[in-house]
Amino acid sequence: MNIKTIAIALTVLVFGVLILVLTQKGNYVSQATEHYEKTTANSFKGTSKIVEYVGSSIDMNKMLWALSCEAIQTVKSSQDMAKLEGKYFPSTKGSNSISKMTRRFEATSAYFIVSSFDKVEVDPKTQLKTLSGLKSIDVNALLGEVAMAAPVEEEDEGSEEE
Amino acid sequence: MNKTKFKILAIVDAVIIVALFIVMFSLKGQYNEQAQTSVKEQVGAYQEKANGVLQEQWLSMDQYGMAWKLLFTTLTGDKTEATFDATAKAIFENKDARLKQLSYMYTAAGINPEAQNKINEAAGMADKLVIKDEKGVKEVACGKNCVITFTFAKGKLVSQDYKALVEYNMTENFKLEAPAAFHFE
Repeated sequence: MNIKTIAIALTVLVFGVLILVLTQKGNYVSQATEHYEKTTANSFKGTSKIVEYVGSSIDMNKMLWALSCEAIQTVKSSQDMAKLEGKYFPSTKGSNSISKMTRRFEATSAYFIVSSFDKVEVDPKTQLKTLSGLKSIDVNALLGEVAMAAPVEEEDEGSEEE
Repeated sequence: MNKTKFKILAIVDAVIIVALFIVMFSLKGQYNEQAQTSVKEQVGAYQEKANGVLQEQWLSMDQYGMAWKLLFTTLTGDKTEATFDATAKAIFENKDARLKQLSYMYTAAGINPEAQNKINEAAGMADKLVIKDEKGVKEVACGKNCVITFTFAKGKLVSQDYKALVEYNMTENFKLEAPAAFHFE
């Protein structure tokens, strides 16, 4: 190999190494950017999910609290209660337990209230049984005082009134 | 060019190549360190922001739960100012019950206990419930940007305004901004 070839090859190599030097910063930037974007995207997704889930779930909780607070001030009978339930939750109905003189309203499986009445009234014409004299509303599910997977009481011997 | 000139060019090239390699390796270490520091700082800052939103929401949820409990208990009780004050104090001081209520709400929202514990450990519990008590008008905190009012006259409850609580929109009050673009500093 003569010196001319070597000199030309080395000159090409100089440019090659120079390009390497000039582009290496870009490689680090792109690697760092990729890592940053991946990590922060996971944080964003995870946090937003929690914020959204809690926010959506609390909408139900809020409406049930609002229903309970209004009921305790205005409701006298299970019929009044049914009307109020319809105002806050148009697509969900509560159910009476005539034997226990209670009415259970379940907004979700986690959020429910049980209203206790002190009298059963029977309509002489229709024989329709209703509850009257609201005594109290059990809001333990709203206070977290029940087990999350509490079995749903299926006793529904009362008649539904709307 | 003659042979001598090519010789000189080859030597100069060789020197430049060695110098460039030295520069390249020294920059490599520098860029690597810079990249790691920048990523750590910017990821850390964003995660702190994200955790801040979760902690703030946790504290608001605590106030939200206490406010409903206080409201409901007040409406079902004797409606005296003395009972209200005692109830507010009892609710605020019963941290076990508050945590139970909070945890129930988070579990109902599908948030696992590990995530709840992590938020709770960092956030703690809300440090205020009744935020104003002047001339029978009591303001109760019910979350971020949420206040309800109870008005007493001669020691008896005359009115309560809990519209803010009924209309409270938790999702709107807590929003995490998407991460900003990465800056290589």
